[in-house]
Amino acid sequence: MAGFAEWLQATSLSVTFQSLSWFIPLLQSIHIIGIGVVFISSLMICLRVLGRMRADEPFPAVWKRFAPWMWSGLVVMLITGILLIIGEPVREFTAFSFWLKMTLLAIVVAITAILGRVLLPTAPGPGASFSGGAKTAAVAIVVLWVGVIFLGRAIAYDVEVWGSLSHHGET
Amino acid sequence: MAVPGFIQSIEATGIAEWMRLSVKAMPIVESIHVLAAATVFGTIFIVDLRLLGVPGGGRPFTRISDEMLRLTWIAFALAVITGSMMFAPNASTYFVNTAFRLKMLALLAAGLNMMIFQLVTYRGVGTWDDSMPPRAARLAGVLSILLWVTVVFLGRWIGFTKGYNFDAAPPPDMNFEF
Repeated sequence: MAGFAEWLQATSLSVTFQSLSWFIPLLQSIHIIGIGVVFISSLMICLRVLGRMRADEPFPAVWKRFAPWMWSGLVVMLITGILLIIGEPVREFTAFSFWLKMTLLAIVVAITAILGRVLLPTAPGPGASFSGGAKTAAVAIVVLWVGVIFLGRAIAYDVEVWGSLSHHGET
Repeated sequence: MAVPGFIQSIEATGIAEWMRLSVKAMPIVESIHVLAAATVFGTIFIVDLRLLGVPGGGRPFTRISDEMLRLTWIAFALAVITGSMMFAPNASTYFVNTAFRLKMLALLAAGLNMMIFQLVTYRGVGTWDDSMPPRAARLAGVLSILLWVTVVFLGRWIGFTKGYNFDAAPPPDMNFEF
């Protein structure tokens, strides 16, 4: 992986990104706007499952309102995220926070997709409570997104946060 | 540029000292700041979109705004607390930082926009609560989105400019074997 990161860092695309001083801050800013949209859209869906938000609306209506923003926001984050990796491959690939973040991201996307698939045809109507399993999944999704946000910022402080687990500065 | 004495004295406070010396304080405080900022932006964005008529029909504006703004204020309070903690250890450097100053201006403008909307446009909400908001409300929505995006951008920009006191004493030896 270190070899791949160094190869990527030497490509002309990466070198171009590195030479543009505004590139990383601009992409990181769009990435943060993206997490604002993704996190809150997801939070709205999860709070509906927990009966704490829009309990008067049927679940499919809440899903239909927020899921498209959540998935589109996620696409924006994937694109800006990939560009950020091309711009600073060694910084990302040597960070323990980065790999843990990607793991949590995969899990949260999977749980969200499954939750939508299961609940869209079977969700109880307004006023009725969701199953314990659905509520647990909703809480897990929110906690996982908070973890993803923390780990995103922790990439910049990988050694301070993880100590010897971090490979920052080794290459 | 002259830095007022009270700004310099912030750097001598206990919290500033703790932020400087603790190895993990900055990443944790910054993470909470990003979480709070994402929540402020995301919840306000939902209200702003409704001001622009998105989604059309459905939920009344007042309900959406009441539901969201509780979350917005909690997150905003968290952002102010964590932001102040990040500001304290390098207060005089941030004070003269252009990106920081512009961010404070953008925050002020976003607040004014919200205040004018609440005091003027919102008074007639009874006539458009269930339908397309009037032009003044749509304008407030567009301005809000633009100003909050600006706040996020300038916030990130601070970290890439001199938001750091290069003349400060070096941190104590750090032992990462834990």
